[in-house]
This record gives sequence, structure tokens and C-alpha cells, in this order.
Amino acid sequence: MSKSYFDETHCAFGHPKSTFMQWMLTIDHKRIGIMYAVVMFTFFFVAVAAALTMRFELYAPGQQFIEAHVFNQAFTLHGVIMIFLFIIPGIPAVFGNIVMPLMIGAKDVSFPRLNWFTFWLYILGCIIALSSLFNFNIADGKLVFNFADTGWTFYAPYSLNTDTNVVTTLVAAFILGMASILTGLNFLVTIHRLRAPGMDFFKMPLFVWGIYATAWIQLLATPVVGITLVLALLEKYFGIGIFDPAKGGDPVLFQHLFWIYSHPAVYLMILPAFGIMSEIIPAFSRREIFGYRTIALSSASIAGIGYLVWGHHLFTSGMSDVAKTIFSFLTFFVAIPTGIKFYDWIATMYKGKIVLATPMLWALGTIITFAIGGLSGVTIAMIGSDIHLQDTYYTIAHFHYAMLGGVVFLFFAGIHYWFPLVFGKMYNETKAKAAFYILFVGFNLLWFPMFIAGYLGMPRRYFDYLPEFQIYHQISFWGAIIFVIGLVFMFYTLIQGIRKGKPSGVNPWNATTLEWHLPSSPPPLENHTKVPYVDFRPYEYHHGQPVVKFDENMKRID
Amino acid sequence: MANHTTVDYNAEKGSYYKVLFGLLALTALTFIQPSMFLTDMTFGVQLLIGAVKAWIILMYYMHLKGETLIGWTVVFAVFITAFFFGIVMIDVNNFQFADVSHITSPAQ
Amino acid sequence: MAHDSHDSHEYIPEIAVDRNGKEHVVQGWQGDFEGAKLGFWLFMLTEVLMFGAMFMTLSYYFTLHHAEFIKASSELDRVLGGVNTVVLLISALTMGLGLLKMRSGDVKGAKLMIWATILLALIFLGVKALEWSNDYKEGIFLGLSTMQAGGGKSFGELLFFGMYFTMTGLHGFHIIIGIGLMLWLLKRINSGKVSPEHHILHFNIALYWDLVHLIWVFVFPYFYMTGAGGAIHG
Repeated sequence: MSKSYFDETHCAFGHPKSTFMQWMLTIDHKRIGIMYAVVMFTFFFVAVAAALTMRFELYAPGQQFIEAHVFNQAFTLHGVIMIFLFIIPGIPAVFGNIVMPLMIGAKDVSFPRLNWFTFWLYILGCIIALSSLFNFNIADGKLVFNFADTGWTFYAPYSLNTDTNVVTTLVAAFILGMASILTGLNFLVTIHRLRAPGMDFFKMPLFVWGIYATAWIQLLATPVVGITLVLALLEKYFGIGIFDPAKGGDPVLFQHLFWIYSHPAVYLMILPAFGIMSEIIPAFSRREIFGYRTIALSSASIAGIGYLVWGHHLFTSGMSDVAKTIFSFLTFFVAIPTGIKFYDWIATMYKGKIVLATPMLWALGTIITFAIGGLSGVTIAMIGSDIHLQDTYYTIAHFHYAMLGGVVFLFFAGIHYWFPLVFGKMYNETKAKAAFYILFVGFNLLWFPMFIAGYLGMPRRYFDYLPEFQIYHQISFWGAIIFVIGLVFMFYTLIQGIRKGKPSGVNPWNATTLEWHLPSSPPPLENHTKVPYVDFRPYEYHHGQPVVKFDENMKRID
Repeated sequence: MANHTTVDYNAEKGSYYKVLFGLLALTALTFIQPSMFLTDMTFGVQLLIGAVKAWIILMYYMHLKGETLIGWTVVFAVFITAFFFGIVMIDVNNFQFADVSHITSPAQ
Repeated sequence: MAHDSHDSHEYIPEIAVDRNGKEHVVQGWQGDFEGAKLGFWLFMLTEVLMFGAMFMTLSYYFTLHHAEFIKASSELDRVLGGVNTVVLLISALTMGLGLLKMRSGDVKGAKLMIWATILLALIFLGVKALEWSNDYKEGIFLGLSTMQAGGGKSFGELLFFGMYFTMTGLHGFHIIIGIGLMLWLLKRINSGKVSPEHHILHFNIALYWDLVHLIWVFVFPYFYMTGAGGAIHG
């Protein structure tokens, strides 16, 4: 049996002897994906800590633990880390790297050295983003942090006037954006050039479709925010005037430019997550996916329409009524391909032999949470109700139901699904399922009260609130505690799985896609022994069993 | 490396010079246009000439001719940019508070 | 990408066989000319979007302050701008001919053409510097008191010059990057890593240079020619 990628690697340059340096210099897509995962989840917990701090503060009206401006920095820290460091690289950087080349039968991504460089660019961005956390001074015997307090959106003109250290955060967001662009570029070329012979676009697994659509967004939307941040920096330090009302500049233009990227960015987050869902549902229903083409094309059309809806973030910012109407109309359109996906998944499960393994539980849970998140999104796509609900907890709850209950839940689903592929071992399923239930309960307890509080008028980003909102904040608080306990328990279970898990074999889930037909688990350095000829659809099941089988040289033997 | 067998320098350089000549002629056109013809729509004409120049550069200098996939990606990107333009222009031209806005009616 | 022969990740040609026994060549990531070309084009699209967003900003303010933009534009030095246009045009030719020479096997000629391109790029930067310093003397420069709010300039003029310095500055930055890339290319040619058989790097840098030229093709008329001819209603 060949050695796994834990034993061997290719390096960007040189032939280092030490394992540590081999990891640092590796160009192997699986190792890079794992390193992304480690770094991202470390920061994830930092951001969770920031959020928990805010929940503690909001347990009762008035000031409890932190001061008002620290609260502003806390939500900025939470937003910046979660958005730029965690969820934007997110699923593409981890599973796009680890799984996508395996799924299309490639030896690696198209530009492995660029992939390595991108990873380090990402690390550089992380360091710059958090460097201002350590930029503090002591005034009147108190610690004063200089971390940005603008929120992750850096709206002009406040971001241009604030004394806090917004420059490092802007530079970091720019660098992380570049890393994101290069990842997308790499994946696009990989998917176009390195598919196994015979695999046309409609024989690709749906996760690859998700990554493909995502990569286009990364490529064509990120530059806009990149240049916006550059313009903001030039405005701040050279006074070019375009965002400065004193010189005739329009701060709303900043919002336009910012959301031209940042709205497609949420589709950038959710599309690969939908891809994971499309992998898990057929694998655990033991049924060929219903409406393969509609799911694939709906990914593409969500990406396409997603470019054209940014204006719904500006309904209250000062836009013409004509533009508002156009944006509201276009926003409704996004719901159509999303709905198609949901019905396809449910139709796939119909009459399937459903196996309630942990990944499937996560996927099913997400169907509930994301349905709430998605449908509440439609309600705030309406101009009238948006005027009422914008900048309230309602929007916050919608966002977190869609992002945490959609993207991150599916990310967790993917982790549980591909865990045996990456480590060759299995976690304890009973514990992992328990972790799911804890997280699911905690999640709903945490976010659902915010819909009500927001509807009743609780504004977001506020440090203080009226006493009548206290009950919602307290339910949320206990939800948050349960949620964090669930998180810790889940990661504990997974780490125990890495350390002591039983060997899983190469295809523990009876799944059909190519990444489950590797010679060993964990996979060897250059993946498949031989590249197969792909003349089959990705999810072929017959009477609950995979149709396509390979011999050790990747020749079909069914 | 497919399709990059040696080329004949002397056979192909002619087209490069032709393109150069065309671009120079168009540049000359940009200079004489404001004082010669269509003077009340200078901006539009200038951008039109720019677009023609861009087209020539793309097709001949950047070898886009015959590249189906790359060609469509370029079209896609330009379409998206054009859409951004379109929406923002619609927005500006229909802004209902333009008369009272500080930035549109300067108090200079 | 060219490697030394004992490099561990060399491409081993592979064949996939379908059920009818027909053989299909497997594309590896190593030495994939088409892939590298596609990748670079995709990168250039990001540049298009970047400058596209700036042009959008510019158009937005042009719509708001039409007459003031035309007035501001007429203050720019059209002769120096025109000289730079021609310089860049010729540099695109030398770059193209250099690539042609490389592909036809004339490495020495190719290097000469790259040096010529670098020289023209430096001339471009020199003219740009002259132009900016002239602007400075006339009180048009970021940070000067005449360029502040209430410093005597209208909104339209302030925004026009703000964008003028931003966009020509960023374009100049791309020229500088281009010079760096060309020097790197020369180094790779000298060490034999770029050769008539492996010229993808040269190909892509030539594409980059054309893109820089392409951006100027729109920057130039937008800033310099809008106010030409004294037309007020553009």
C-alpha cells in the first residue's frame, strides 16, 4: 500500500527533512486544506469568544462587564474574523482544496505553488488583521484597545474619521481578498483543465459545481471590494474626496461598492455549502439525486443573480425609488433557484433508504434552519418591511440562521462526512450525534428570540436596551451557553476521533463519488493510483448499493 | 507544449506593424476629433474610439481571436461591470432628493 | 513551469482507458500551457473589475457634475498625455515583437525587445512624473490647501482631480510592477527557465503589458480628452 499524504509531501522549494517544514512548505492540496482548517477554526473560536462577551454584556440592560466602545470593538472583531478569516475562505479553502481535486480525479490543483503562496497570503492577512489587537495603551490605569470599532463593513465616513486602528483591518481585508481571488482562480482553472477524461461538466459531483460557481464569485466580485478598500485608504490618508461629503463625495457610494462584493460574498459562502448538502443527501438516502441538472444550474444562476442584488442593503441609505424597486425584484429571484435545490433534495430522500448517520443529521437540521433563514430573507427583501426591520435583531437573526444555520452547519456536516476520508479513522458516532442535538437546540434558542426582539424594534449593534427586551436577551444568552457547550463537545469528539478513532476503511458511507475510490485512507500523495475514465453519473445507486465499482487500477469492474 | 511550434518571425511581424499603424491612426483621430467633428458629443466619440482600440488590442495583441472559453469569460466580466454601471446610473438619474442633497447642489 | 530534472514532482504521462479500450490522455497540472494562459486571463479579469469599479465611480461623479468635470479636464496637459499614449502604444509593439522573437527561437532578439519595453516604460514614468510636478506647481495635488474643501475648487473639480491622481497613480503602479515582472522575466530567460519551448511566462507578461496598455486606452480619453476642444456640453 502506498504511503499516505501524512507521510510524504511535495514542497514548494527545497527538500526539508523536518516534518514541520514539510508541512509549512507543502504544495499538496490535502495538507494545505488541513492547515486552512486548523487556522480557521482557531480563529473561529476567538470570534465565538468575542460574541459570547457581547452576550454576557447584553444579559441585562445597562453596563455589565465592558464599556460601550469596547462593545463596538467586540462586534467588529467578531465580524471581521467570522467574515474575512473564517467564512469567506471557509468551505472552498478547506474542502475545495481537500476534496475537489479528488472528486474530479486530479493529482492536485492546477497551480499547486500558487496554492501554497495563497495559504501564506491568507496567514499574512490574518496576522495583519489581528495585529491591532495587540496595539493597546494604558490610560488612567485602564487598558485601551485600538482595534477598529467600525463594524466589519467599514462604512464611510465613520471609518475615515475614527481614531482606532482601522488601517490594519482594511489592509488585512484587502490581502485576504487577494488570497480569496487566487483560490478561486486556481479552482476555476483546475475544474476547466484537470477533470478526468470523460468527465464533462454534467458528470461532475455537485460539490464541484458549487465550488465552480463560488470561484466565479471570488474572482469577479472580490476585486471590487479590494479597490473599495484601497480607495478608502487613499481617502483616509490622501483625501481624494470621493467618500468625503465636504468635497462632494458620496458616502453611499462606498456602500454601493462595498456591497457589490459583499452581497455576492454570502452566495460565495452558501454555494459550496449547498454542494456539501448535495453530496450528503444522495449518499445517505442511497438514491440517485433528483434533478441533477437543475441543482447544478441553480448553483450557477444563484451566483449570477447574486451579483445583481447588492442594493437591498441600501434600502434605508438613500437610493432612488426606481433602483430600490429593481433590487427588491431581483432579490426575490434568488429564492427561485434556492427553492429548486430544496425541493430536489427532499425529492431525493423520498422513497430512499435513509441512513441517519451524523452527516445526514446535520444536513437534515440545516434544511430546517436554512429554510427559516432563507424565508426570513425574502421578508426583508420587501422594501416596506425592510424599512421596518433593517438594522434590527430581525436582520441579525436572519443572517445567522442563513450563515450559521446554513453555511456553518453544512460545514460541520462536511467535516463529519469527509472526516474518515481525511484521517482514515472514524469518530464516535453516538457522541457526534449528541453534539448535533445540543448545537441544534442551542442554536434555535440563541437566534429565534432575536426575530421577535427585532420585530418589536430592538436595534442591532446596541450596547444597551430597554428593559422590555430583557427576556429575549436572556433566552439568547442561555442558548449561547448551550451552543458553546455543544461546540466544545463536538470538537472534542472529533479530536478524540483523530487520536483514537477506529480505522474507517476507504468508503465507510457507501458513497459513489470518486473521492471514495482511493487506494487508501488517508489518500496517498498523488491521489488515485490511476486516473479513471468517467463515463458514469456521480450518484448511481441501484437497490441502495453503489453501481460503479473499480479495481485497484481504477478500471470499472461492475 | 501544444501548438507552440516555432513561428516564422518575419512572416508574422507584419501584422504587428499593421496593428500599430491602426492604433496610431486612431490615436491621431482622438486628437483631431474635438476640434474637427461631432464636437458636441466629444465624450461619447472618445470612448467609442477607445473601445475600437481596445477591441484591436484584445484581438490581435492579446491573441483573443479564436479563444472561445477565454473570450466568453471576458464577455461575462465585461457584462457584469456594465451591469454595475447601468444600475448606478439609473440610481443617480432617478434620485428623488437630488434637489436637497448637499453633494448634488453644492453650497459653494 | 520548468523544473530541474531531479525535481520530485515531475509529470508522468498517464493514459485512462475507457470500457471500449479507447485511450485518453490525462491532463496533468505540470506544463499546462492552456491552463496557465486561462489562469492569467482570469487574473486579468480581476484587474478589469478593479478598474471597472473606479471607472464607475468616475462616471457617477461625471453624471453629477458634468460641466465641472469638463472644466477640470481642460486643465490637464494634453500634450504630455498624448506623448505617453504613443509611448505606451510603441511599448506594446516591442513587447509583442519580443514574444514573437522568443517563439521563433531568437532569444537574444527577444531580450533586446524586453529591454526596449522597459526603456519605454521608464520614459512613460518620467513623463508622468513631469506631468504631476507641473500639476503640483499649478496647485493641483492631493493634500495641497487648494485641494481642500472650501479651497476655491468646486465639488466636480475636486472629485475629478481626486480620481485623476488615484487612477493614473494606480496605473503607474501597474507600470512599475510591469517593469519588475520584465526584469524577472529577463532573469528567468538568462537562467534558461524561459525558452522558446517554455515561454508561458513571457506570454503571460506580454498579456499583462497589453492589459496595462488597455487600461490606459480608457484612462486617457476619460481624463484628458473629455474637456478638449472647449466643449462645455460634452
